[in-house]
Amino acid sequence: MKLLKLLASLLVFSGLYWLAVQKHAERDQLRLASVYLTPNCKEKLARYDLTPAEYYRSPYVQKMTGTESTGRGYRAEDVRAIQRGCNIVDDLQGNLARDGPRERWHANRFVRGTQTKCAHCHQSAGDKQDAAGNRLVGSNNLGASWVMADMYDRFTGMLLPNELRQMQCYINSSNGFKPNAADDVIRDVTAYSRFLAAALDMKIGKRYPEQGMDEIPASATLRRGDDYVRGAHVYRQKCASCHGAQGFGTVVDGRAIYPALAGPDAFSLDSRMNFAKVNTVMPGFICRNMPPQQEGSLDNQQCRDIAYYLSTLPRPAGDLQGPLVAAWQQMMMTVMPPLTRYAESIGGNVAPPASH
Amino acid sequence: MNALRSALPRILPALRSNVPVGLTLAVITLPQAIAFSTTLAGLPPHFGIYAAIWGVLFTALLNPSRVFSGGPNTAMSAAIGVILLPTAPPFGTDYIGYALTLILLAGLIQMLFVLIRPLGRMLDLINEPIINGLICGIGLFLIFKSLTVFAGLPINTQSEWALWIAWQSFLAALEIGNLYAIQIGMITLITSLAVRQIDALRNWAILIGVAAGTAYSAYLNATIGLQNTMVEQIANLAAIKIVYPSLPVFNQEAMSDIVSILPGAVTLALLGLFQTVAAMRRMNRKIGVFTDSRKGIFADAVSNCMLPFLSSLPTCASFNRMWLVYNLGGHSRLASAISAMILLLIVLFLGDAIAIIPMPAMAAVIMLLGANMINWEDIKPHLKDRREAVVFAASFLSVLFLDLFGAVVVGSVLAIAYSKWEQAHPNISLSGNVLKVRGNIYYGSLPVIEANYHSAIEREGSVIVDISDCYYIDPEGIRWLAAAKASQNVAFTDRRKTQSRRELERRASAETKRVSGRRRRKPDRRQRSEF
Repeated sequence: MKLLKLLASLLVFSGLYWLAVQKHAERDQLRLASVYLTPNCKEKLARYDLTPAEYYRSPYVQKMTGTESTGRGYRAEDVRAIQRGCNIVDDLQGNLARDGPRERWHANRFVRGTQTKCAHCHQSAGDKQDAAGNRLVGSNNLGASWVMADMYDRFTGMLLPNELRQMQCYINSSNGFKPNAADDVIRDVTAYSRFLAAALDMKIGKRYPEQGMDEIPASATLRRGDDYVRGAHVYRQKCASCHGAQGFGTVVDGRAIYPALAGPDAFSLDSRMNFAKVNTVMPGFICRNMPPQQEGSLDNQQCRDIAYYLSTLPRPAGDLQGPLVAAWQQMMMTVMPPLTRYAESIGGNVAPPASH
Repeated sequence: MNALRSALPRILPALRSNVPVGLTLAVITLPQAIAFSTTLAGLPPHFGIYAAIWGVLFTALLNPSRVFSGGPNTAMSAAIGVILLPTAPPFGTDYIGYALTLILLAGLIQMLFVLIRPLGRMLDLINEPIINGLICGIGLFLIFKSLTVFAGLPINTQSEWALWIAWQSFLAALEIGNLYAIQIGMITLITSLAVRQIDALRNWAILIGVAAGTAYSAYLNATIGLQNTMVEQIANLAAIKIVYPSLPVFNQEAMSDIVSILPGAVTLALLGLFQTVAAMRRMNRKIGVFTDSRKGIFADAVSNCMLPFLSSLPTCASFNRMWLVYNLGGHSRLASAISAMILLLIVLFLGDAIAIIPMPAMAAVIMLLGANMINWEDIKPHLKDRREAVVFAASFLSVLFLDLFGAVVVGSVLAIAYSKWEQAHPNISLSGNVLKVRGNIYYGSLPVIEANYHSAIEREGSVIVDISDCYYIDPEGIRWLAAAKASQNVAFTDRRKTQSRRELERRASAETKRVSGRRRRKPDRRQRSEF
């Protein structure tokens, strides 16, 4: 009996080890395979002239400043890592991949729901530019984020490596789980961010205006005070056509065309996007990045109002809040939408007072 | 000198019988102690080792029980790691300072349980299903938690729910784990499991497993090289001396963090005391003696107030180690003291051998201990009684779905609820117009009694309340009895007083006599003296 037990456990252990060896081999094979790029990434990486070579000269720097910048080049495996990183940022769910999420290192495991992807916040694969090629202020540029790696975090005051910052994205913005710091998901996105920094000629440790979000504090307004009723009104005029009347986004064929701002697929209460958590970040994102093609058309107070309104919508709880809050939020996400719909059907949708 | 010479014949046999016990205890504790501090608490290895030296010595000296054995503890070490993760990165100076503060705070909180007697007595309300539920939950948690170290992956920082990340950690170990690390961990696991089947070597199983893992790791280092295998080793044993003094952090800068770990300190204190009290109770019953658990609480509290000044993990009693000492024939506190001394010698002279122990082997040790904590023989009796099963399940699940603080709070609430539930439901029977109450009359049971009392009055018109079998009436109960007595149609009878029996017999109708008559046995004195 003892021997049988021992034999059984031996069998289980060797089975698990065999499985691990198989999975490792599969990963190694994927690392060596050539990368099938998404259209966005294909265009971007070709524009930045990413090829294996001994030296790297950025066409972007040449075009914008007229000077040559020469850096160390990339090996073939580096190029593949950068390409995979770009793919993950542009298409985390693997909708555009030939082989589905497997080609994205199963990054969809680490986000809850089937919609969230990095490009919702890091638009244009983390490198948003206007037609003339100027990077936009407060556009969450990943290259600018990489050069700020290992700096002290503004919010917590702790030393924040780029890997850890990516993990925070997964926990907070996508309500998900942390990938391990050694996972390819993290490593490839780091490689891509690092390449962007080289292609845009950014210097380590320097703060660029396109890094992160350009925050809008109350002091940047006329101090009329934030008002979610006003915010709801502006939301219906400017945002609802894409993000939906209740902020659930636009989903076609199971793919998010416009991301959800509320409900189970939206960012969580722990996210810095949540107005109640840090009340300057969400307004900053709205003012600098929304609506697409009309960036900068909203004034500061409108952005703060919209953000305030969005924070009143039901959304998932973060991991730090524990199971009680999670259950409560789940209930609100279930109960509130039909109630709101009903309220609006019996004559809601009232215009706010013309002025205060 | 003369005194020593005359005492020698008495001391020598005691030494001779206790040295082997002490050696076994030291050998069992050493790998555990290192594993606790490095993989669970996020502290350098000397913390665990000093806990196994000073913690064991202090608790042995402070507790008069002959078999009592303290030392580093899995649950407490895991609690330290979980509590401190949000405040600072593990193994750093800040982290170590906070850990010492946390342990001192826990010690001071435990001191409250010594000083305030009723508070200490409350710990006796923690029953076996609650403790076993906590232990099983923590055991499962330990297995999940050590997965990343087992696979040689960096541990995730920031707090989160253990169960959510378990599956992800498992997949990460399969896909990106360091295969050398996994090999070392598996060799440790399998060797320990195999050696454990041999009865003579059972106590040495973990040590032999770790030795096998270390040997394989040394072989890998020699053939492939540490720079290629990238398997983490314990390495840092610079601090190992006889005493390594340390100071908890209490400065203004740290105050906000210290305030934020206060609930953690309560958790740590209670986890230690729960286990000490439960272990002592179980031990008392196993060997048929009685040592007041207050003595154990005292030993724990004083030790935990001193240990943070000696850079050591907190201590609490361990049933497994006590049971082992007893079975090996250690019948005095000398065994524990000797084990502490032997451990000190081992560590002082074999520091270099300890430094090359690979971390995956330590993770394997934690997994084995975690698996040992889930003991079917302990669980089975709780599933037979429905109420115990509920309490056990609630306590078990609260560890997995709440954090440790939540689990301890749920455990305490359950303990009080469980002990009060029985008393709040007195056995009430109505025969004729005699309402017989068996049990307590106190604020908790009054609603039940009142409900029956009023329905009886409605039906019968007048009622005789028989409180002969009530062994406890609290002031609120007395007030209610007084108020009820004021009404005309109620009489009371307490047959513990002979005078009132006559009165009762005069008043009672024929049918009531049948029930409350001579056949009733006398009030049970034994039962009364118990309460």
